[in-house]
Amino acid sequence: MRKLFLLLMGIVVLAQVALAQRTISGTVTDENGNPLPNVSVVVRGTTTGTITNEEGKYSLTLPGNAKALVFSSINKSPVERQIGTASSIDALLKDEDKSLQEVVVTGYGTQKKKDLTGNIASVKGAAIANTPVQSFEQALAGRATGVQITVPSGVLNAPPVFRIRGTNSISLSSQPLIIVDGVPVASGDFSATSAAGNALASINPNDIETIDIAKDAAATAIYGSRAANGVVFITTKRGKSGKARVSYNGSVSWTSVYGVPEVLNAQQYTDFKNMAAANNPNVNSTNPAGAGYTKFATATDANGNLIDTRWADIVYRQGLSQDHNLNVSGGNDNTTYYFSVGYSDQEGIQRKNDFTRKNILFNVDSRINKVLTIGGKISYSNEMNLQSLGSGSLSGEAFATNGAGRTVFNTSPNVAPYKNDGTYNIENGTSFNSNTIGRMNNSVTVGFYNPVPQLDLNRSNSESNHIQSFTYLQLKPLSWITLKSLYAIDYLFVDNEIFQTPVHGDGATLNGNASSTLGKNKRWTWSNTAQFDYIFNSAHTVSALVGNEQDRRTGIGFGLNRQNLSDPAFNIIQAGFVTPNTAGLGYGENYLLSSFGRINYDYKKKYYFSGNIRNDQYSAFADKASTFWGASAGWEIAKESFWENSGLGNVINQFKLRGSYGKVGNTSGIGDYGIYSTYGSGLYGGLPTLLFNFAGNPNLQWETSSKIDVGVNIGLFNDRLRIEATRYYNDIKDLILNVPQSPSAGVPNNIPSNVGSMYNKGWEFSIAGTPIQTKDFSWNSTLNITTNKNEVTALAPGLTEILTATSLETVSRSAVGFPLGSLYLVRNGGVDPATGRRIVLNKAGQPVLYQYVVPAGQFQWTNPDGTQYKENGVAVGITQAKDGVMYGNTTPKIYGGFDNSFRYKSFDLNVLLTYQFGYFVYYGSNAGLHDMRFWNNHVDVLTAWSKPGDVSTVPKPVYGDNVSNGSGLPMSYNAFKVIL
Amino acid sequence: MKKQIKYIICLSLGVGMLSSSCNKELLSPVPQTSVSDATAFDTPARVANQVNSMYQAFKSGNFYGGRAQIAGDIIGEEFLNETTNLVTGADVWNLNPTGTSTNFVKNMWAQAYYAINICNLFIDGMAAKGSSVVGTTLANNYIGEARLIRATIYLKLLQHYARPYADGNGSKPGLPLRLTGIKESGASALARSTVAEVYTQILNDLNFAETNLPLNYASAILNTTRAHRNTAIALKSRVYLAMQNYPAAVTEATKIVPQATAPFSATTGVAHALQANIINVFRTPYTTTESILSMPMTSTAGDNPGTQNQLGFYFAKSTGNGEFSLNPVGIIGNAGWLVTDARRGFNAVVSGKPYLNLKYNGGTPFTDYAPVIRYAEVMLTLAEALARTNAGVNVKALALLNAVRQRSDALTILAPATQTDLINAILLERRIELLGEGMRNFDLMRLLQTIPAKGTAPAKSSADAGYIWPISADEMSLNPLMTDN
Repeated sequence: MRKLFLLLMGIVVLAQVALAQRTISGTVTDENGNPLPNVSVVVRGTTTGTITNEEGKYSLTLPGNAKALVFSSINKSPVERQIGTASSIDALLKDEDKSLQEVVVTGYGTQKKKDLTGNIASVKGAAIANTPVQSFEQALAGRATGVQITVPSGVLNAPPVFRIRGTNSISLSSQPLIIVDGVPVASGDFSATSAAGNALASINPNDIETIDIAKDAAATAIYGSRAANGVVFITTKRGKSGKARVSYNGSVSWTSVYGVPEVLNAQQYTDFKNMAAANNPNVNSTNPAGAGYTKFATATDANGNLIDTRWADIVYRQGLSQDHNLNVSGGNDNTTYYFSVGYSDQEGIQRKNDFTRKNILFNVDSRINKVLTIGGKISYSNEMNLQSLGSGSLSGEAFATNGAGRTVFNTSPNVAPYKNDGTYNIENGTSFNSNTIGRMNNSVTVGFYNPVPQLDLNRSNSESNHIQSFTYLQLKPLSWITLKSLYAIDYLFVDNEIFQTPVHGDGATLNGNASSTLGKNKRWTWSNTAQFDYIFNSAHTVSALVGNEQDRRTGIGFGLNRQNLSDPAFNIIQAGFVTPNTAGLGYGENYLLSSFGRINYDYKKKYYFSGNIRNDQYSAFADKASTFWGASAGWEIAKESFWENSGLGNVINQFKLRGSYGKVGNTSGIGDYGIYSTYGSGLYGGLPTLLFNFAGNPNLQWETSSKIDVGVNIGLFNDRLRIEATRYYNDIKDLILNVPQSPSAGVPNNIPSNVGSMYNKGWEFSIAGTPIQTKDFSWNSTLNITTNKNEVTALAPGLTEILTATSLETVSRSAVGFPLGSLYLVRNGGVDPATGRRIVLNKAGQPVLYQYVVPAGQFQWTNPDGTQYKENGVAVGITQAKDGVMYGNTTPKIYGGFDNSFRYKSFDLNVLLTYQFGYFVYYGSNAGLHDMRFWNNHVDVLTAWSKPGDVSTVPKPVYGDNVSNGSGLPMSYNAFKVIL
Repeated sequence: MKKQIKYIICLSLGVGMLSSSCNKELLSPVPQTSVSDATAFDTPARVANQVNSMYQAFKSGNFYGGRAQIAGDIIGEEFLNETTNLVTGADVWNLNPTGTSTNFVKNMWAQAYYAINICNLFIDGMAAKGSSVVGTTLANNYIGEARLIRATIYLKLLQHYARPYADGNGSKPGLPLRLTGIKESGASALARSTVAEVYTQILNDLNFAETNLPLNYASAILNTTRAHRNTAIALKSRVYLAMQNYPAAVTEATKIVPQATAPFSATTGVAHALQANIINVFRTPYTTTESILSMPMTSTAGDNPGTQNQLGFYFAKSTGNGEFSLNPVGIIGNAGWLVTDARRGFNAVVSGKPYLNLKYNGGTPFTDYAPVIRYAEVMLTLAEALARTNAGVNVKALALLNAVRQRSDALTILAPATQTDLINAILLERRIELLGEGMRNFDLMRLLQTIPAKGTAPAKSSADAGYIWPISADEMSLNPLMTDN
């Protein structure tokens, strides 16, 4: 009892002392009047301070010299109050001004853009909404530094080639990891037909709030083994509190084909081919009764008019597209929602190539109480990707006989799609031997397939049903602790449907062919994170994250193929056919189990540090686990007092140096079972077999990228002009190459092994400014430039090159010391004015002449003086393997965009110029356009060499010649340098 | 505060549960559509299915399912190329394929060695485990099949990628002799053995097969599509013919053609004999006793030769693509081959040109069995070997020759006057009897005969470059010990 009394006495004494020093108290609230706990209250210029309690109240004993209090809290703009004589000071903290304090997604969280030390580029959703695309990334070209988008074809919904800072893998995918609302999603083409089916088309571009693109090791390392190609964070729109807002936008657009090669008309074709035939002494162009009589002749239609078919007009069209989006968003303080429906119907440039998307998105967030928030997303999208005749433009289709793009120039203009009786113009009906377009008055066939019956009767469709949904539960037991658990599904079901008519074309030899397959691609992810945010002494801002994640993917495919139609009127697979086969069988599964952590620290917004680490265990490797990491640091010089006080601070409000380094990995596109050597099932005369079909590599590991990034961010005139410059270097090791064994070893496959290395390096610059800013009119302008240099530094031991074939043609070669996928070609030396023969250069650069038809006593390959070409005394020809050179790089050295947006009152105008240059394109169709078989030709053949002394780029036309044009011998004649 | 503590406890529990509920077993998926090499010999059924897999690799469209036979025929003078398509052998026909010619030179090399590796892996796996699973007798049957297939592949490869045995008695560079299974990196380098060394290995394999193979199987289809003792004997007669070891050829062939006079038939094992009508040998069910070994086909995708590999696609015009027509001045121009000969029934004029239109006339999806060796060939081999080892006109040799001729042409009785005439008549009969069965290059090259010119294709003497194929360019670039032809 006495002790208690003494203690009470002591407290009273202390209290009296305190009173002498003066105490101040008050309440801190937000804009809505709600009390704010955990607000830091500090006497300016001292370390004296406290934090507010649950009710937002604080009480602080002031030192004698106290002048002002500083109130600060996470995500709030700090407020300063003069003390004067007051004994009570209340404060109102507003949310930070988002326009100045933009937030970027960093993976399992967000960070203020100003505080970033890693390299993340951001694109506003508004910039890509209402663009005539099927998926958002098609509209990203030129929008951000380091981001390269190449649309490879005019086929609707074909995934663009999406590269961040160059191509980072040889055998695996170089596609960045796509994270939508915190969940990794499927990307790539999931269609198994001639229609393209990009999985990312399920995200309606109009529903996107922001796109953040993480590029360096620091920004991506939180995704560890999947981060090497960069990480793209998509944030879809979520509701904002307030009355329900309803918004509709719609658009109508047209697309047209451009750059269709100008080919010969019917009369020009007929005359030119007859001349070429006459130039070939081995062709019988004179004796109609003799074998192989080759004579071209025009024909007339039913009205007696000359048949002059422009096949481009038949295959291509002007496509009409419409797009409608309706969304409702709103909520109260505790619950917000965003609901959106979209309908998009697009016509491609090729007849019968259509894309339709119907999608629905519902996002909801509900704060149950101060601690607990739950929410989620329901997204469903149905996409119809329709095609009839293959375009010939998708990967692997280049030399398909029926490629629609190819029929435009390999089919004669002097025949028509229909005979004069109105039936399809096909050689002699539908029998096996006459599966080509009818020759009409020509004595030989003058095309492969007639594209029209196939366009009319074939289908090659793909339908995607895509569900992307999640639910989360978030707890904030203390203001500085956030615990979150998120479970998500990404289910993509793809129905592929192919019908090939027995009438003509691909289906004719099989008397009708139909396939229906289903691909079920299911994925679930479950992540659990704990986030800690705390400011110590108003100076040390610490943000830490720990978490774990499971990512499970399964893929199942099955289907039916039926051939030999029992009735020509049938055209669906459920009808009668003679031969059944299986189709589209597939099975795969993988599992990624990860734990990760991050720490961000800054001292007074001057010195920054961040570190990320992730441990991944992946089912596709025998040695399951590996750790990846990234670290970065930054120095905001503009916050230093010497800067602020120097007058520089008035002009340059930000001058931040930053650098990062780390090691991340790549598994994208790796097989699920590459570590196993397996025996597969087959048939021998109807009996089961068990056949050794895959040699695996139990030592297979991740590809790893070590990335260095150094840069500066400069803000001038209160950020009205912003400049960023970055130097990057990405050293890639353990590249998985499928290492070929000598064929006599008898191994069924090239064995995947971690053997290659290469690097990407370059600069990124961007200048963004607001040259004009008035009440009614503003002009924002951004110029971004990215440079890239790529070089392969190692392939497998004993493997000097990797040749990549495009169907029948091989012009892409990767070799040590050269950029990935360089063009490997024989150099064109022009046309010899004396003889009209093609000149090519041998390995040593000496001219060698080629003639297709070799008269007695002459030679196919000759020196300029007419003597036979020999090497080491042996007569040889020029070949790509022997005489090819690394002719040029195919990846751009410089790319970027120049983006200008203008606003006048409520009207917006956006003008975006994108560019890529400093690279070569191999235009294989150019060879076709100069093929001297029955193929139609580019009009420039009319200037072909015809007599000694002529100077031309086109050699003397000799019927049948497919070497001089670079078909039989890949030649630089068909390589074009892209300058701008 | 109390409430918060409760939440923290809940969440800690939750997180704890999660960490333990991570599905560790999902990290080690077992392939569901294939069998790991670790367990491929675990059951009798798997071993039996692997036996079938050796035949499956052997009957690939790139090998004995089509292109092996096609290559043997189109090198010779009986066919004319109609489509100038490199994919379907225009360069092979023209006798100028290069090492980079994908469709025959590279693909046949690769497929043949793949099939050899399948056999080698099987032989190794049986020694390690399989024999104990199926028992010694069955194991030896199976290994006999593996070695027979391996021998047949090497024999075919020698005919295209190495000089004939007659050129220097086998002293010329032969093939890389792969005898152990490979499923890992690092085995690319291997030098060529000599032609004689490869033949020695072939005979070792076939002798083992003859000793260990069963006499026959339970059904006609298995007797035609699986190797048995007489298959080994028949193939050995072909091997000795290639080596010009005629006494040994007589010894082997006599084992299954023992009679002195017609009718001839095998008296042990499968009772091989000529069929009354040759047409029936090439018609469903393709399993007469005349077909010693044929590759079976069904309409199921993957169980037939595949696009542009089918015998019927190349030679038939009505039901195929007519890639090659019959050369009017080839064997079909021979006046002694009467129009009434049943074998002429395989030929037909379509669109003004003669084709081997009906020997493989199944059409899409091309399920005609592909012949590997037939009793008629063994009879003619025996006839030739007897003729060459006996002065004058050997009686049995002539009887065998006439047996083959009169089966299809009862009107003709051949009566050569001299030993040379007899040999030439037998060689001529082989051209007629085996037309389109892949034996023409074998018959030309074993005798170092010039390949005659045909159409626009030039003649090649045995001394000319292009008489045999170059080595696959892939092999040249990846096998540092390889030498080209």
